[in-house]
Amino acid sequence: MAVAFDGGVVMGADSRTTTGSYIANRVSDKITPLIDRVYCCRSGSAADTQAVSDMVRHYSASVSLELGEDPTVRTVASLLSLICYRNKWLLAGIICAGWDKRRGGQVFTVNLGGALLEQPFSIGGSGSSYIYGYCDEHFRKGMSKEECVEFVTKALTHAMSRDGSSGGVIRLVIIDEAGVERRFVPGDKLL
Amino acid sequence: MTDILSYNGGTIVAMAGDRCVAIASDRRLGVQYTTIATDMTRVFKMHDRLLLGLTGLATDLTTLRNLFNFRLNLYKMREGRLIKPKTFANLVSSTLYAKRFGPYFCEPVIAGLDDEGNPFLCAMDLLGASSNDDSFVVCGTSAESLLGTCETFYQPGLGPDDLFETISQCLLSALDRDCLSGWGAEVYILTPSGITHKTLKARMD
Repeated sequence: MAVAFDGGVVMGADSRTTTGSYIANRVSDKITPLIDRVYCCRSGSAADTQAVSDMVRHYSASVSLELGEDPTVRTVASLLSLICYRNKWLLAGIICAGWDKRRGGQVFTVNLGGALLEQPFSIGGSGSSYIYGYCDEHFRKGMSKEECVEFVTKALTHAMSRDGSSGGVIRLVIIDEAGVERRFVPGDKLL
Repeated sequence: MTDILSYNGGTIVAMAGDRCVAIASDRRLGVQYTTIATDMTRVFKMHDRLLLGLTGLATDLTTLRNLFNFRLNLYKMREGRLIKPKTFANLVSSTLYAKRFGPYFCEPVIAGLDDEGNPFLCAMDLLGASSNDDSFVVCGTSAESLLGTCETFYQPGLGPDDLFETISQCLLSALDRDCLSGWGAEVYILTPSGITHKTLKARMD
């Protein structure tokens, strides 16, 4: 999931990758960098999302060469959306979030069909079904960075608790003007 | 409804030691990937020297538990003594095979001590095919992982405390790699002097 606050975004994900019911990787990193201040949360088929994010990383680098500066968050999200839209057989649900100097922190969702949607916060993946109610109830506009971190951590804890395909540890990425901070919440310290 | 045996999840392992047996199970009850309950009991005491663990579909688990309790009560009334583990294993096997073409979706694990105090272990598939072993037996959604961990950590002739440590570590490592089992574990250690029951704290995801 990802939540925007004034000045940046907080992104969080669990760390479980499964093949059927076997946990292939219980400490995976599902939050991948695309450009300096834009990351994406990957859900769906691991192969598809890795391929798509690698391609968008490449295309974003080309764009920044042409522009002479980093592309905006919306541009990177559009690139993800284009690839997913034109390759409808892919199983990729991606949340693209980051900071740019024009509009600050932004969160974009690219769904299975390739639609691009900007939202104040976004949840995705199989565990998200269990926390729609929780998130709708506990999200407030204008939260501070630390309030967002607590919101994301608690929401992910709930999802990991109920969903069999979610679990492991919580990885958080906080992006703002100053840079990117990575945090880690181990399994026994979940809220 | 692709795989009925893994619909509710669940895993059981049983190990033999020096004049003792241990049987351990997880505590999760799920509906495919959703976790419904975290206090499910899968291991049942049949009598002071016999424990039955059941994996598979939860509804068949309940039915079989009640059925075997009923059959054991009848046996005790008629024979005037407690059933031997070997005989009980045969009873379970024939009960399951009786439904050969419309089976109970349950895979049992039987752990007990015979009259001399020697360990008895038996695991069965859903049709009643039994496999006896002197070392360990496994059933459930993380059976393959458990085979790996048990092969590595098992040693023959362990005392009750060492057996408890070994079986707990084997089960917990295997549970960490399975989505459909987990949410805590319980271990029963059966010795000639009685049954000890311990609950393990595990990853709650």
